[in-house]
Amino acid sequence: MSKPRVGIFGLTSCAGDQLAILNCEDELLDIIGAVDLKSFVMAQSDNEEKEFDVAFVEGAVVTEENEEKLREVREKSAILVAIGTCACWGGIPASANGIERVELYRQVYDTEEDYFKCGRTVLPLKEIVRVDLSVPGCPIEKDQIIAAVGSLLHGVSPVLPTYAVCTECRFKENRCLLVKDDLLCCGPITLAGCGARCPSHGLPCKGCRGPVEEPNAASEFDILKEKGYTRHDLEKAFRTFAYSIEIPERA
Amino acid sequence: MVARTIPSHANIRLLAKKNLGDLLEVLGRWGTVYAPVEKQPDVYTFAETTDLSAIALGYLRTALPPKRFMYPPEERLYNFTLSKGFEEPPQSEDRQILFGVHPCDIHAFSILDLVFAGPYPEPRYFKRRRRTAIIGLDCLPDVNCFCYSMDTDSVERGFDLFLTDIGEDYFVRVGSSWGEEVVRACKDLFTGLKEGSIEEYKRRADARSRMFESHVEMSDMPQIMELEFSNPLWEELGEKCLSCGSCSIVCPTCYCYDIIDQFDLKGDSGSRTRRWDSCLFKEFAQVAGFNFRQDRSTRVKLRYYHKQIAFVEEYGRSSCVGCGRCIETCPAKINIIEVLNEIRGKKVMSHAG
Ligand code: SF4
Ligand code: SF4
Ligand code: SF4
Ligand code: SF4
Ligand code: SF4
Repeated sequence: MSKPRVGIFGLTSCAGDQLAILNCEDELLDIIGAVDLKSFVMAQSDNEEKEFDVAFVEGAVVTEENEEKLREVREKSAILVAIGTCACWGGIPASANGIERVELYRQVYDTEEDYFKCGRTVLPLKEIVRVDLSVPGCPIEKDQIIAAVGSLLHGVSPVLPTYAVCTECRFKENRCLLVKDDLLCCGPITLAGCGARCPSHGLPCKGCRGPVEEPNAASEFDILKEKGYTRHDLEKAFRTFAYSIEIPERA
Repeated sequence: MVARTIPSHANIRLLAKKNLGDLLEVLGRWGTVYAPVEKQPDVYTFAETTDLSAIALGYLRTALPPKRFMYPPEERLYNFTLSKGFEEPPQSEDRQILFGVHPCDIHAFSILDLVFAGPYPEPRYFKRRRRTAIIGLDCLPDVNCFCYSMDTDSVERGFDLFLTDIGEDYFVRVGSSWGEEVVRACKDLFTGLKEGSIEEYKRRADARSRMFESHVEMSDMPQIMELEFSNPLWEELGEKCLSCGSCSIVCPTCYCYDIIDQFDLKGDSGSRTRRWDSCLFKEFAQVAGFNFRQDRSTRVKLRYYHKQIAFVEEYGRSSCVGCGRCIETCPAKINIIEVLNEIRGKKVMSHAG
């Protein structure tokens, strides 16, 4: 079996997911040994931008340049894996959607000019190109990226959790912050895989892994409304990492 | 551990409450003792301890049921390599002693026994079951307990020792030869029945029965559920349910699991893992290209239909033991007591029924 040619790319993001790959200390050599790493700008200097069997792409599409790069990588790659919540759901960059851009330029850069050419709606990769596999997380979980590489080496998709953070939270026998402490916890609509990290430390889930396939945001709103939260509170919480989550009105 | 029952009065002793700490210490020499502790405010778990001061004797329900000691939430079944084939990770042979198990959870073990003994016996479960001793403890119900309705409020078997609080002493029933061995080994801690202890035991049993606030009339329930297949209630529950699976994860009798195969990076090896699954998850009924239970309402309904109809047809009783865990856990406040009563057309839950 010839080693798969792999590229790791970053669009607009904090580079945390690429860093998470580099942080796979014990397994990093195995990963590098199992693949033919053609491009990883953040970690190596000799990069070849030809064809890839698998491309891992981090970050959201914020600029025109991002979109061009993404289309180029898609063209050259057999399999494209979105890594991190920005790539999968738009993440933090997309929380700017819906806010007047000029206002943001003024606040952040003290100018009204679109200096970085980022006036467009921020989008996750799947809104622009075909994505073959999504590995969300802010940042991604080490075991999941290793599982993804291991499975892709054998030509199969990894089995990643499709259930909610609550499921993992129950496995850990945590005191439920939503039911018992009336806190705004996004666990019921957020994709598991972090081992319910935040509730295990007594902090409500902020939804950093993005939503489950079918988030019942309407029901969670009903639950929280009873506890005194407003629609605005929920939108703010749910959309920090996934701008597209809607809270349907009940009939 | 659960073996031959010793007939009649020889199997009853008294344990002075002040001797409980010593008993725990002795038990610790026979195996690893797990007892209920309050891990966070109002959250209980079975944790390794023989320290009486750490044990929450008055606990009502642990977050996860004790089934996890026979059937862990996640378990590596095999490792595989090209050269060596399948290899099962070794399992401990040591005795584990579950102290403080309530009647509903003891019944739940008998239910799991039926399931795992089925046409394809599950060796891992029974291996753990055989090396597990069960020391039962009585309890006083809260509003979410309905074991009284499920006929699981008291136990006649399924324990090695069972302790009932009768004031100064525990009324100790010995349920197995191992239990008898323990009693014999710590003669000084136990005494025979005292004047009045039987009366006190009976008085408390009656008082406890009267404490149940929540009731479900279970007679003919499978038939009634069949008739209510199209009740709009299922749709309503589907609107509320978050598919979080918490209700089945905390259930002492839910046994569904998923199998996950994972290759590792070396390319010639990998592992097979078993993890608790839930029929509330959308993927549960996903087969190639089709999902049998696409809607949440059909999934919520399935949980009820499996426990109250399919299980009864196969094993002769409902697989719900009335422990109330799913009620306490559900973020959407879906309450099995209310659901079953509503299906029967009863909104009021009175003791007289
Ligand atoms: S604390 Fe949050 S994540 Fe945990 S069970 Fe409760 S709602 Fe779910
Ligand atoms: S609990 Fe929620 S916010 Fe915390 S790591 Fe997990 S998904 Fe992210
Ligand atoms: S269905 Fe609910 S009440 Fe019944 S045994 Fe399971 S967790 Fe307990
Ligand atoms: S089908 Fe659902 S209710 Fe039945 S045992 Fe499985 S998880 Fe529990
Ligand atoms: S605990 Fe409640 S919300 Fe969660 S899956 Fe069960 S019924 Fe649905």
